[in-house]
Amino acid sequence: MLNILIIGNGQCGNRILDAINREAFGKKSRFAKFYSQQKYKSNVQTIAINTAINDLKEMKFTKAKDRIHIPHLHGVGANRNVGKHVFEDNKANILKQVEERGNFDVAFILTSASGGTGSSFTPLLVKEFKQKFDFPVYALVVLPFREEGTLYLQNAAFCLRDIRESGADGIILADNQFLKQMGGNVESAYNGINDMIARRLLFLMDALDSEMMMVTDLGDFKTVMSGGAGLATIGFYEADSEMPIKNAIRESLSPSGLLFSTNVYEEASRSMVIIKGDRKYLSIDDISSEVEKLSSSVGHVFKGIIVRNEELPQVLTVLTLESASELENLYSIAVDAINYEKQKKDRVNNDKEVDRAFSQIDGMDPSY
Amino acid sequence: MVHFGKTLTLASLFLFLMLISVGGASGKILYNDTIEQGDGFQINDYVIDVAEVFPGQDSVIIQVYEGDTKDPKYDKLISVGGSYKFKIEGEDVEITAISVHSGVVPRAKLAITITDDDFINSKTLGVVNGGHSEAELSSTPVLAISKSVDKSNINVGDIIRVTVTVENTGDGDAHDVIFSDPNQERFILIDDILGSPGRIDVSTSDAVKKIYVYDLKATEAGTFSLNPTTAIFTNSVGDSFPQASSNRPAVTVSGSSLMKNATLDVTMEVDRYTIDRNKDLQGTVRIKNTGNAPASAVTVGIIVPEGLEYVSGDSGIEEISGVPTIYMESFGVQQEKEIIFKLKAAEEGTYTLSADSSYLFSNGVDSEMQEVSSSTVTKSVYVTKGKYDHLFEQPIYVYLIPLLLIGVIASWVYHRHKQYKF
Repeated sequence: MLNILIIGNGQCGNRILDAINREAFGKKSRFAKFYSQQKYKSNVQTIAINTAINDLKEMKFTKAKDRIHIPHLHGVGANRNVGKHVFEDNKANILKQVEERGNFDVAFILTSASGGTGSSFTPLLVKEFKQKFDFPVYALVVLPFREEGTLYLQNAAFCLRDIRESGADGIILADNQFLKQMGGNVESAYNGINDMIARRLLFLMDALDSEMMMVTDLGDFKTVMSGGAGLATIGFYEADSEMPIKNAIRESLSPSGLLFSTNVYEEASRSMVIIKGDRKYLSIDDISSEVEKLSSSVGHVFKGIIVRNEELPQVLTVLTLESASELENLYSIAVDAINYEKQKKDRVNNDKEVDRAFSQIDGMDPSY
Repeated sequence: MVHFGKTLTLASLFLFLMLISVGGASGKILYNDTIEQGDGFQINDYVIDVAEVFPGQDSVIIQVYEGDTKDPKYDKLISVGGSYKFKIEGEDVEITAISVHSGVVPRAKLAITITDDDFINSKTLGVVNGGHSEAELSSTPVLAISKSVDKSNINVGDIIRVTVTVENTGDGDAHDVIFSDPNQERFILIDDILGSPGRIDVSTSDAVKKIYVYDLKATEAGTFSLNPTTAIFTNSVGDSFPQASSNRPAVTVSGSSLMKNATLDVTMEVDRYTIDRNKDLQGTVRIKNTGNAPASAVTVGIIVPEGLEYVSGDSGIEEISGVPTIYMESFGVQQEKEIIFKLKAAEEGTYTLSADSSYLFSNGVDSEMQEVSSSTVTKSVYVTKGKYDHLFEQPIYVYLIPLLLIGVIASWVYHRHKQYKF
């Protein structure tokens, strides 16, 4: 049995973590925690970290003891510099809490790249983990909507760089901008994104700890994640009716199945394909032809097959990327945003128009 | 020696044959034992005297007396082994001389049988010491009780004298005579001259005896037959006789009545006679004085059976020793009152409520207040199962198990809530 640590940093990380814990109950009811047990195959420990206590209170399916509040007013206000200082002041407490939960085989840190707490804490936390522990640490980073504002874009750009430099064993990208295609209102879109990520991670954890017809294990996952530029994304498809397995594989690699916009056949470096379902859907020929097609472009593809009676086909693909054109686009926009913020600050510093207005009343007192 | 043996055998055979013949001829054995000379054996009014025993001649003289006659009805010499038969009340009585014995007082062993003994009084059956002259013969006393008044036509307020006499016209004394003379309605006892006679004997030789003499005052108009005087008594042997009763003299009283009455009609009813358990029902007590005199100290006690509970009532009701009681100092002629109270049906069952009432009034004739008590009951009140009674009819575990289950679930939910509450 694997020992897995999942940490949700900041509001976004907390919400994804809560979605994972909810999905683990296997029931959709909000009362499932009262009458059901979480169905983790592995020993999964979850920890939510946030400076904003309200974000922690919003969580419904994560135990109170697994929610760590870092006291700093109500958040760090999307300021990564403040967030870094707060982390430094509290890292001993955070690491103590992790150590108390035992030893782990792998850790996933969930965070948004754009917010305050998550984007500032995650690189430092990864760095601390890599110095202190010997298990692989993977960051699942959610990129912002492009129109969310210059601060978020700036944070995303620096956060991604910092995580990559922190020593993380891999960064799994999920892009809100790409996932916006799901439509609906903001709340349901966010919830939908969180649920998608949660289902993929649960499937992955389940697969890494399952007996398979064809084996993919943590070692394979590490190998996949070590390929490419250290960036990865996950594709997933779950059939809602009977369908050929090759179609399910294709769907998982299609834009609707991926968490990040990429041309799999051009940008992927290594891949892992995990197929689950009833034996009758698992045509080896179909699976082999689709995997062959993928491997001809990607290079190496690990494949795992899990037989589950009476389950419709489900496919999870983990793809590491050699390049990411969409990331380049993001950084291009982020540079504009950084420049814009810089120019604005310079203007304020140079013009001091407000100071001039105030100087008109220097040496005067109010008369009543 | 051989001769003695033959004699013994013959004697035994003779005795055996004699016993067989006695048993077989007469039916029921009344007596089979010795009786001394001079004593007798009584059967009702007959006495069989053993007049003289002749041990030397193996014979006995038997004399049968009927009643207290001086001369015997039958006089017979019976040899041992012989018998004599005669009739009493149509039944055959047979006397057999079994043996005779010498001594200071000679004795004869007799067997007395009768064909049917149903008519025999057990008190007059058996050996009589001294014979017939000492026998207690049963007799039939007859008491003639006579009640008379000195005037049979009077006006209201007039006084009559009542005289009750007794005479024994039977053939024996009456013992332990107890007279009874009930109070006379519509008359008031003014003077009891002789008082109660108590337990007395009335002999046939007694002259006519005065038993009661008293004066009565007429209070109402009309023609009335006075209540009879009665007597119970026994004869000399303790046999009880049917009650003797006097005549009932009639008295006609003219004029208008002096007597006044307070007559309270007390009724009680409830608003429902079928009610669910734990529901309330309303009771109403109605009191009306339909008499011509006011009543006082009117008390009505509402007797509530177990299974019903008194809840509350009008201010006129006060609980005294747990009994809801209505008390009114006075209650005028033709006055009416209605008092309402509330009961709770506590237990399933069938009940009746009763109201015990009492009151005093002056009848205008007597100096003392008259007291009247009565009781009234309602129709049956059926208390049926309450709406939720069926919930409590199950064994205790039926309630405990779900409660336990709910407790466990609640504890689990609370535990989970605490686990997830931040």
